[in-house]
Amino acid sequence: MNRTLVLLYAALLVYAAIALMPFFWMLLTSFKEQRDLFRIPPEFRPTLAYTDDPFRNYAEVWTQREFFVYFRNSMIVSGLAALGQVMTCSLAGYAFAKMELPGKNILFAVVLATAFVPAEATIIPEFLLMRGLGWIDTWLPLIVPSFLVGAFGTFMLREYFGALPDEYAEAAIMDGANPFRIFFEVYLPLAQPALIAIFVVGFINNWDELLRPLIFLNSEELFTVPLGLLSFFSQYEAAWHQLMAGSVISIAPLVVIYMVCQRYVLQGFIGGGMK
Amino acid sequence: MKVSLTSISILALSASIATAETTISYMSWSPDQLELEMPVIAEFEAANPGVTVEVQAMPPSDYWPKLSALAAAGDLPDVFMMSSGFVDSWGLAGNLADLAPLAEGTDLGAYFEGSLTPGMVNGTMVAFPQNWVAPVLYYNKDMFDAAGLDYPDADMTWDEFRAAAKALTTEDVFGYWVYGRYAHVDTWVYRNGGRYLTDDKSGIELNAAAVNTLQFLSDLIAVDNVAPQPQEMEGIRQQDVFPLGMAAMWVDGSWNIDNVRNVADPSMNWGIAQVPMGPDATADTAAAYAWADMLSVSETSENKDLAWDFIQTLVGGERSAADFPGGKVPAYRAIAESDEWLERGSQPANKELILEIGAQTVYSGFSENWSTWRGYGAEGQAGLNGELDEVFNGRKSLDDAIAAFTAYGNEVLAR
Amino acid sequence: MIFRHYQKKHLWPLAFLLPTIIGLLVFRLIPIFWSFALSFMDWQIFDTATFAGLDNYIYIFQSVTTLQILRVTFLFMLMYVPGAVLLALALAVILNSGLRGAAFFRGAFFLPYITSTVAVVLVWRWIFSTRFGLLNNALDYIGIEQNPAWLADPAYALPAVAIVSIWKDAGFYMLLLLAGLQTINNEYYEAARVDGATRWRRFIDITVPLLSRSLFFVLIIAMIRSTQTFEITYSLTEGGPNGATTTLAFAIYQRAFVDFDMGLAAALSYVLCVILGFLTLVQFWLRRRWVHE
Repeated sequence: MNRTLVLLYAALLVYAAIALMPFFWMLLTSFKEQRDLFRIPPEFRPTLAYTDDPFRNYAEVWTQREFFVYFRNSMIVSGLAALGQVMTCSLAGYAFAKMELPGKNILFAVVLATAFVPAEATIIPEFLLMRGLGWIDTWLPLIVPSFLVGAFGTFMLREYFGALPDEYAEAAIMDGANPFRIFFEVYLPLAQPALIAIFVVGFINNWDELLRPLIFLNSEELFTVPLGLLSFFSQYEAAWHQLMAGSVISIAPLVVIYMVCQRYVLQGFIGGGMK
Repeated sequence: MKVSLTSISILALSASIATAETTISYMSWSPDQLELEMPVIAEFEAANPGVTVEVQAMPPSDYWPKLSALAAAGDLPDVFMMSSGFVDSWGLAGNLADLAPLAEGTDLGAYFEGSLTPGMVNGTMVAFPQNWVAPVLYYNKDMFDAAGLDYPDADMTWDEFRAAAKALTTEDVFGYWVYGRYAHVDTWVYRNGGRYLTDDKSGIELNAAAVNTLQFLSDLIAVDNVAPQPQEMEGIRQQDVFPLGMAAMWVDGSWNIDNVRNVADPSMNWGIAQVPMGPDATADTAAAYAWADMLSVSETSENKDLAWDFIQTLVGGERSAADFPGGKVPAYRAIAESDEWLERGSQPANKELILEIGAQTVYSGFSENWSTWRGYGAEGQAGLNGELDEVFNGRKSLDDAIAAFTAYGNEVLAR
Repeated sequence: MIFRHYQKKHLWPLAFLLPTIIGLLVFRLIPIFWSFALSFMDWQIFDTATFAGLDNYIYIFQSVTTLQILRVTFLFMLMYVPGAVLLALALAVILNSGLRGAAFFRGAFFLPYITSTVAVVLVWRWIFSTRFGLLNNALDYIGIEQNPAWLADPAYALPAVAIVSIWKDAGFYMLLLLAGLQTINNEYYEAARVDGATRWRRFIDITVPLLSRSLFFVLIIAMIRSTQTFEITYSLTEGGPNGATTTLAFAIYQRAFVDFDMGLAAALSYVLCVILGFLTLVQFWLRRRWVHE
């Protein structure tokens, strides 16, 4: 038993090392001078740390660009879009799993099928549509659709609610609660781990999204972080040292959000529901 | 005639000034270059009261999707950067304004003639050069000295090049480094009188000189062993092989002068030379290879004259040589020929060589869908690039590769 | 079904689904039908569109590259989907078993999904480097001398892209499965433990059936994602060498934003959709056999 446990930990540690290494390399690179980035063999020391200005790359990133503005914008856009996904998808996922409606399976199939179409094919029509709505150079195209439809979250919650027994609702039905109350008071709290997962994933995906903000936004004061990072590229090359510093800054909130949310995902709810 | 047209454009200009709020939109694919342009853009705004310039810059891989969306909506910016490789496709479709009427009164003689040609589509000028580049032969002077060889010059033959590469190859260093992209291969092809395209650019048909050139390059790897298979170097950026001292010679675009300066040890002595003329070529058929980063005015622009003035601000004599670092040659001759641009005292010692190349007969070899058949941008591993990699890496015969590439290229050109 | 006893019973689900239906119509189906219409057009994006009938589809079926693109797409799916899902399942189950330090491991395993792709690829390029790479040096160390040029050899490039993609996404699927594991009541495990069931039996008899709905969901999502992998391919191999990692999604990007041929790109997209639709139908059909309803 102990042997298995030791082996298990060894395997987990090895995989954790593999998972963490690129992140540490990114961190390391963000503390290097430009000319030390592509040495053969590689330079393992954070060479900037030995100078009297170790945070130079970070300072340059933060001051040369409107990084604070990009940051705030990304927070607003990603936060609202993720919130919208949680609301819409929980309603839809629940209806698909627990309610009766003729043709609902066809509707679900259509929702799922929309996820098959690659963004490259629809981005131009989408742009023309948003332009027709007068939404170009606003955040609306990045936020509003998330409040209305989401294939991924709907599908996930359909499976999740489907795995919860119908019997949970019995007492509430006896009390004469309406369907919304049953959804909101009985099932929704039980779905907390899935809702948080959808929020986290929705936030991260929106935070990383490049193509749509690129196409829909023109004004720098509306730019999101990935658009801001583009300014570290030039025609032939990238300013990798600054790009790495910018990348570290830009994933910091994602790490925090994940860490905070993960606690709630794993608090578990079982027990409360069954008794 | 000339006078009256100019005065019309001045009238148009003053009319637009009178309406007070005019906006010129400008899109660039080079964020760091835009930084350098900001001072002259501010001057332009100061010189044209009521005119605001809206700028946006993103790297090429994001620039083209964005520009595509704007083109689809008919919202192209007034002024935007245009690649030599895309001028044909975009120009033939009528997106790019004819610049000739706007350029009345501008002294085109102030610009390198060769840099103007890529902007001509069917005799119409639809794009104007800002800067241009040309592939050159980089060589490591220290290694040439150690081997007791003369530095490469304009008279070098391919046999002499091959002999030098052999003499320079040691246990640690390769005599030559070739990566199969347009900047590394096509100069050799054109300097040998080779052509990939038929004369009307409607199909792929390699002439004998082109085939011989590709054979020569692949023999350097497979027969003479004076250049590594590209896959051996995978993991090192191809532009770092030469500056890191792993190869004595290398052909790539002049823009890499900057990278060599950044990456090479400061004590390394190096120079640039013209790629040697091939044995199949005569003075008439040997062509230089150079191309330009261009600027276009959209056909839908409502302020074409102002847009032209703006282009002149970006490319003209008001720019400083420091705005064109390394091997990017300003299209405006006076700046390129200034001592500041020639950078006396830093390596390479002979930057005027690039100007000499630009003064020769230039063949650019671009066509519709060039990026697809040649392999460029997100198709950098496709088309001829992909096939040549297989040859250089010893997995495919040159004949098979040419057959496969010709079939693919003709399919693409027939679209 | 819970609500069959209510009057006007269809109004409630309609109310629940109203945002989805509106969003679907406006923001999904309009662009999709629009691009579907484009697939019958000859439209270089900077040019005027003209009706082309089936030309784009005919071109695709005759093109010398189509077979290879399809082959690469399927091969990638076959490497990525089982690899990512099984790894994620193992990680989720292990981390759900109340191990000490689980919080640290959960964070570590999820980090690749957060870290920006360009940053990630920079380090993977070094790992896969032919001469100086970590991987080939490690292979040397354990006595394997014939080291492949991972990213430059068509035979190895696709597995390399699959490895990086699995590595990046496994934490994401792990998160989804961890949420699913929360629906399983601990009492089942306790009852099984009382009966003396081994860990493995408990996994097979309780975890797998009760997690099957989440697993099914993850499987479908992984399948869809495998066909849309783009960023990693773009920055790691650019679809090369010689097309060896050019999947359908990558080819669609090339047609759309290098060739500017929106009609052709749209047609390729709907070829992809038909394939995905078929595979999904098969999955839903198989679902009855293994998913515990």
